[in-house]
Amino acid sequence: MKERTIRKFKWFWAWQDEAEEDWLRQMSNEGWHLSHIVFPTIYQFNSGEAKDYVYRLDYRSHWKMEKDDYLQLFQDSGWEYLQEMAGWHYFRQLGHPGEQMEIYTDAESKIEKYRRLLAFLSILALPLVISLINLRDPPYDWLSPIRVIVMLVFLLYVYAFARILLRINQLRRI
Amino acid sequence: MNPEKLKKYLPLTEATYYIMLTLIDPLHGYGVMQKVEQISQGVVKVGPGTLYGAFSSMEKEGLIKMVKEEERRKCYQLTEKGRQVLAMQIERLELMSTNGIAIREALQASL
Repeated sequence: MKERTIRKFKWFWAWQDEAEEDWLRQMSNEGWHLSHIVFPTIYQFNSGEAKDYVYRLDYRSHWKMEKDDYLQLFQDSGWEYLQEMAGWHYFRQLGHPGEQMEIYTDAESKIEKYRRLLAFLSILALPLVISLINLRDPPYDWLSPIRVIVMLVFLLYVYAFARILLRINQLRRI
Repeated sequence: MNPEKLKKYLPLTEATYYIMLTLIDPLHGYGVMQKVEQISQGVVKVGPGTLYGAFSSMEKEGLIKMVKEEERRKCYQLTEKGRQVLAMQIERLELMSTNGIAIREALQASL
């Protein structure tokens, strides 16, 4: 059978990493295996025999890591490295029936992953806050389009923050 | 080192405790994962994400150090400071265990 390729557009927010993992697994179950992510939201799949690939996403900014050591650990424990996209590292491994396949095995380290994500988002939020302050003065009034756009993006940030904090809190209670 | 200063590391998480137990002798990451699972009789498993984070922070805190490299894999071992922290943790666990055993009979009688 000739291998086919499809591209899918799918949007996941930063706090939906587990939903993304589930979706990628579902695709593999249907015979579409992730080949690579072209750009955030654009996923390329190759057709093949249906397999139960379990996908896991790790968040780690690369300037703070020793990538060789990092990948060696994952490879040794059976994880195939697919790629990195905007700080997210994609891994997969064939599922073993009855076994929970996790790259994070305790709540503490899972919380650390979301903390790193929050730290990164905070850095990005800084220019937003600065532009909001700068746009306060004339000629920008309250309803100038640029101000409204920056405001909306800022609100989205606040929402993303809240969602990730909520996730951390849920993990803490377990 | 002053034990008072080392108290901030306690209590260790279950994963950190087991990782440190395996690092009494030099061992690489995958060896740590296997050994933790083996000595804990499968109760404790350490995934690569958890282990990478633990290695980084423990090395930064000077609890472990890289001692050699084997086939591109770094081998770590406890430092003197790490050994002290681990000894303090074991003492703590001993007390916890003694406290638990003391009430176990009463607990079982009421179940």
